[in-house]
Amino acid sequence: MRALARKITDLGTDLVKKSKSTRSFTEMMSLVALRKNFKDGPWKHPDAAEVRVALIGGYNVYPMQELLEHLLAMEGLNCKLHVGNFAAYASEILNDKSSLHAFKPQVTIVIPSDDSGAYTGGLADPIQTQRDAAHQAANSLLELCRTLHAKTGTDVILTNFAPSATHDLGPFRNRTLGSDWNFRRAVNLELGLNAPAFVQICDLEFLFYRAGALASRDPRSWFESKQPCSPDLLVDLSREFALTVAARHRAAKKVVVVDLDNTLWGGIIGDDGLEGIELGDTSPRGEAFKTMQRFILSLTQRGLLLAVCSKNEIQAAEEPFLKHPEMVLKKEHFVAFKANWRPKADNIREIAAELNLGLDSFIFIDDNPAEVELVRQLVPEVSSVLLPDDPADFVPFLQETRLFEVRSITAEDSARNEHYRINIEAKKLAAAAPDLKSYLRSLEMTGTIRKFRKEDVPRLAQLIGKSNQFNLTTRRRSEGEVLQVMADPDKRAFSVRLKDRFTDHGLIAILILDIKGDTAEIETWLMSCRVLGREVEEFCINEIFRIAKQAGAREVLGRYLPSPKNAMVADLYLRMGFTARADHFVRSTSDFHSYSTQIDSDQENV
Amino acid sequence: MTHAEVLAKLSEIVGRVVYHEVSLQSSTTAHDVKGWDSLAQISIVIFVEQEYKIRFRMGEVAATRNVGEFADLILRYRQKAESHA
Repeated sequence: MRALARKITDLGTDLVKKSKSTRSFTEMMSLVALRKNFKDGPWKHPDAAEVRVALIGGYNVYPMQELLEHLLAMEGLNCKLHVGNFAAYASEILNDKSSLHAFKPQVTIVIPSDDSGAYTGGLADPIQTQRDAAHQAANSLLELCRTLHAKTGTDVILTNFAPSATHDLGPFRNRTLGSDWNFRRAVNLELGLNAPAFVQICDLEFLFYRAGALASRDPRSWFESKQPCSPDLLVDLSREFALTVAARHRAAKKVVVVDLDNTLWGGIIGDDGLEGIELGDTSPRGEAFKTMQRFILSLTQRGLLLAVCSKNEIQAAEEPFLKHPEMVLKKEHFVAFKANWRPKADNIREIAAELNLGLDSFIFIDDNPAEVELVRQLVPEVSSVLLPDDPADFVPFLQETRLFEVRSITAEDSARNEHYRINIEAKKLAAAAPDLKSYLRSLEMTGTIRKFRKEDVPRLAQLIGKSNQFNLTTRRRSEGEVLQVMADPDKRAFSVRLKDRFTDHGLIAILILDIKGDTAEIETWLMSCRVLGREVEEFCINEIFRIAKQAGAREVLGRYLPSPKNAMVADLYLRMGFTARADHFVRSTSDFHSYSTQIDSDQENV
Repeated sequence: MTHAEVLAKLSEIVGRVVYHEVSLQSSTTAHDVKGWDSLAQISIVIFVEQEYKIRFRMGEVAATRNVGEFADLILRYRQKAESHA
């Protein structure tokens, strides 16, 4: 008996899992049938919230209603569903005596048909007429929502308009707002930007885009049974509805707890050390982890708090945050930092107590299945996420968990506003195109020059290996040879990093000077082409002369060794005031005056 | 693929859509099956099309008078698909 009971529970768990992931109509309908055969299931909670949902619109809502009811059940909600008559939604909303009003919905899903998002005028109408029509189309729908909300207090989920899937009108479709293609997009924009807080836009345009418009449109099912889209897209659409409704009954997520090793960087800091972990532009994997860090950081702009929970010695766990040049995340981004050998569930409970926040507002991210499983069992309130095997998939995977979505952004999320402000300013700068000096000044650039460091070696070797155009001598070096340079007492080897107010460009230039008596020879000078035109050349030459003077050199010698790709720097030394000799260029250190640049210099132990 | 096989498959599909077990004969009509209304019909047609990888034209299924004719229609489409393959 007990074995049978367990088997039934497993079947139920499986049913929930499949229902949450399948995008096939027939599979989902089979799951619906299966659910109806269950007396009880793991999705049924004795204290499940009841939610009254009305489904109305310009379409036949069967079989969507079956899917919606099922998916709401899978979300643990006890749903009372009211369905409207085909295409009667406007009168149902406007008539106080309609069954819709009597139902007293808490959430009303409105699916307007294509024709309420269509332009009825001509393709050659003045643009302002077409714009007004788009605004009007959006506004009349929003007005219906406002009316219903005012009379019943219901929240509203309003779908926007699906894009057409054919090439109709050809290239001209983009040249007029009167084309279906452009007009629907304009109406959708108006809907999203003007919707009041109680209206959530269900982005049907995006769902079509994601699944492919050709696969999502189904003209026959419209003519035959007034369906809004293909059967499979009905699943996507119903799922959006269910998730939006369910989100009302869930605690908002507030804290993201992340593991460190193999989550924020590749490898294990305690074993591999600072130079051994994979992070940054050194390798594809390192780049993927850096991207992961950027995503985690971006969550703070949505108003989420970050915390660390890692099985590590605290010193080892902190080291990358303090010393690794490619770390995007800094210690100050985290409200809690737990690195110890205690069970993660304990640490998470402790963080929740410290912050005085409910565990159901926590998300936990780890790459280790055992840790995730343990947290799932010991603190089931927490949404625990097991990362996929390949770090390339981390960010898209997390985005698809739907856990990091925000319903609205309030003034509290000022960091996000700040972000927008910066982007807008960047665009303004580009658009205005002022004179070069003031443009460069406005970038607020900082150049950091410092001696080669062990943890930079992979990136140094990589830049040495791939820089072709701005490379005076094209001397390639392996990681081992870079280490030899560092050990050579006659060589002065420096890396240059550049940051501006918009972005950190990372390591962008390499200088290696060979000190021979009173001559400092520029043995290697290479630069990433990403930063051309920003006076980094002048910045570098200033640094070269400063270092040469420090080393007691009376002249600086430069060479240009032509390669098939480095013609752009053939006259670099002449431009920098050097005198040409038979096979090299020289300039004395005594008559050198620093070039003025718009880059603030930040010298580290140089 | 025989007529009987199609009937058996149809029984399975219709049962899934109307949420109870059904056993269809050639002479069965939608009226004879509890729950097989115009709404259930929408899902049944989608199931059949995905199962047999065929696509009916508008009105074709509605024109069949009983399950036997529906099965004939499915078989015709399958034969057409196979002769093209």
